[in-house]
Amino acid sequence: MSPLTRLLSLGRSVGFAVVLLAVLFAVNLILRPARFQPGSWGALIGLAAPLIGAAIASTPVILAGRGGIDISVGPLMGFVNAVVIQMFFLKAGISSPLLLVPAALLIGALVGAANGFLATVVRIQPIVATLGTYLILTGVTLTILPAPIGPAPAWLKALAGPWSMLPLLLMFLAWWLVRRLPYYDQLMAVGSDDRAAYTAGVDVTRVRFIAYVMTGILGGCAGLMLTALIGSADPNIGPTYTLIAIAAVALGGVSLAGGRGGVAGAAIGAIDIFLLQSVLTTFNVSTFVLQIAYGGILVLAVMLTALQERLAVRGR
Amino acid sequence: MADRAAPDFRGLAVRGLVIAPGASAITQTIAPGEIVGLAGLDGHGQELFLKMLAGLTSPLGGSIELGASGASRKITGFRKAVASGIAYLPRDRRANGIFPTQSVLDNFAVSTLSRDTRLCLISPAARKARYDLYREKLSIVAPRPDAPITTLSGGNQQKVLLARALALEPAILLLNDPTRGVDVATRHVLYDVFRGLAADGMGLVILSSEIEEILLLCQRVLVFRENEVAAEISGEAMTTDSVISAMFGHAA
Repeated sequence: MSPLTRLLSLGRSVGFAVVLLAVLFAVNLILRPARFQPGSWGALIGLAAPLIGAAIASTPVILAGRGGIDISVGPLMGFVNAVVIQMFFLKAGISSPLLLVPAALLIGALVGAANGFLATVVRIQPIVATLGTYLILTGVTLTILPAPIGPAPAWLKALAGPWSMLPLLLMFLAWWLVRRLPYYDQLMAVGSDDRAAYTAGVDVTRVRFIAYVMTGILGGCAGLMLTALIGSADPNIGPTYTLIAIAAVALGGVSLAGGRGGVAGAAIGAIDIFLLQSVLTTFNVSTFVLQIAYGGILVLAVMLTALQERLAVRGR
Repeated sequence: MADRAAPDFRGLAVRGLVIAPGASAITQTIAPGEIVGLAGLDGHGQELFLKMLAGLTSPLGGSIELGASGASRKITGFRKAVASGIAYLPRDRRANGIFPTQSVLDNFAVSTLSRDTRLCLISPAARKARYDLYREKLSIVAPRPDAPITTLSGGNQQKVLLARALALEPAILLLNDPTRGVDVATRHVLYDVFRGLAADGMGLVILSSEIEEILLLCQRVLVFRENEVAAEISGEAMTTDSVISAMFGHAA
């Protein structure tokens, strides 16, 4: 596949999200030229980074198909935020990124493994299994950290503005590597049709389990990005990311049935939602209206994706 | 294609296999280079038998062994079967075969992903080269290897699935109604391929709902009735009439 055709096929799969991105960006430029001047793009990316991270993290399990979903990504981000600041930084005095980053990723991997165990080995429906983890993590986070506390280590706070590109780029790099592993083809095969994958000799349970661990690791990374943005620990912010992240993934053309889409689409979907948020706050609307807008956009996106797929089938 | 297995391969030995409660046991050997047909009215056990050979369904009794020069390998599960050199081509292409959202190339390579890796990473060029080998062999008509598999005709989708199975370089190939929903021209290409594989020393077991196909391809046929082998017919005795009467339980 040449780079051009690859770009075109990416455009087709996330088509709606890209158009929306351009429109929303133009609207933002007109409404708030000061906020959207090129000089402040770095700060804007910093604001959007945790949502983009959460959307990327939510993607692997959704790609794995058969109702695969992880709604505990948001609480996991909050949990990582609380543990890193309250337990490691403030109580134990550990501030080195060489310790904190691996610790955050390890926490993510362990939570992901727990979700994967429940969803693929015990075979609880993913939404129920991860709802359990959602509630547990939210509760544990509030137990560790009943009220917001600060500050964060200086290096972490420095990742808030333009430097928030660094963890995002690392996430993309990691996914780019995964795409070139045999595992990626197995993941997409399982997401596309798990019975066919089994008949073709793919270890479906193992592939799905690894998808949950990947989501956990990426969620741990997103938790660090959240910590960088708020520069402190707050037990209440994390869980709010869960559903918006899933809306972003759906908006980005990732099929919730699995086997279609990728993290690039999820990231574009997340930026769409961020820009929409920005437009609506210009009009000083309440957060309730924001919720309504998210819901409306999500329903519209899923409908358009379904329509697109149906047209593609008819086109054959 | 079966070069790897040819020198030491002695065949697939089925001993006392019971496929349904109360049915009498089946003992058979499938020799290298042989094409064995499975016939019977739908649901009389021939598909169950094939799936047991593939390790997809566990038998109620008896054993299945793939004979090799060193030690023969007992087939106890699907993964074991694949690792031992048994490939299975499923019947319902749409439900159990293709990955509709994936490309032709991905559909071909899914069973043998690790063969294209360079330093753990997939080399698209190596995969393409491997696919081209089979595309030529099976004369697959596909516009581009990166096109979605659903853009191909039914016959060509089936060829891609056959290529996927052959890429495993099996010693025994199990085919579950391989020409179902395939056009006549493609059928004859497939027949030639099957004969070629057998000539190279592969053992083939073909379940077919069409008797003509079995008469055309197979040296012998096992006719199933009520989960037992009601008749084993080979050579001159193998005619449409004899197979049909065995299917309906009349003495041949």
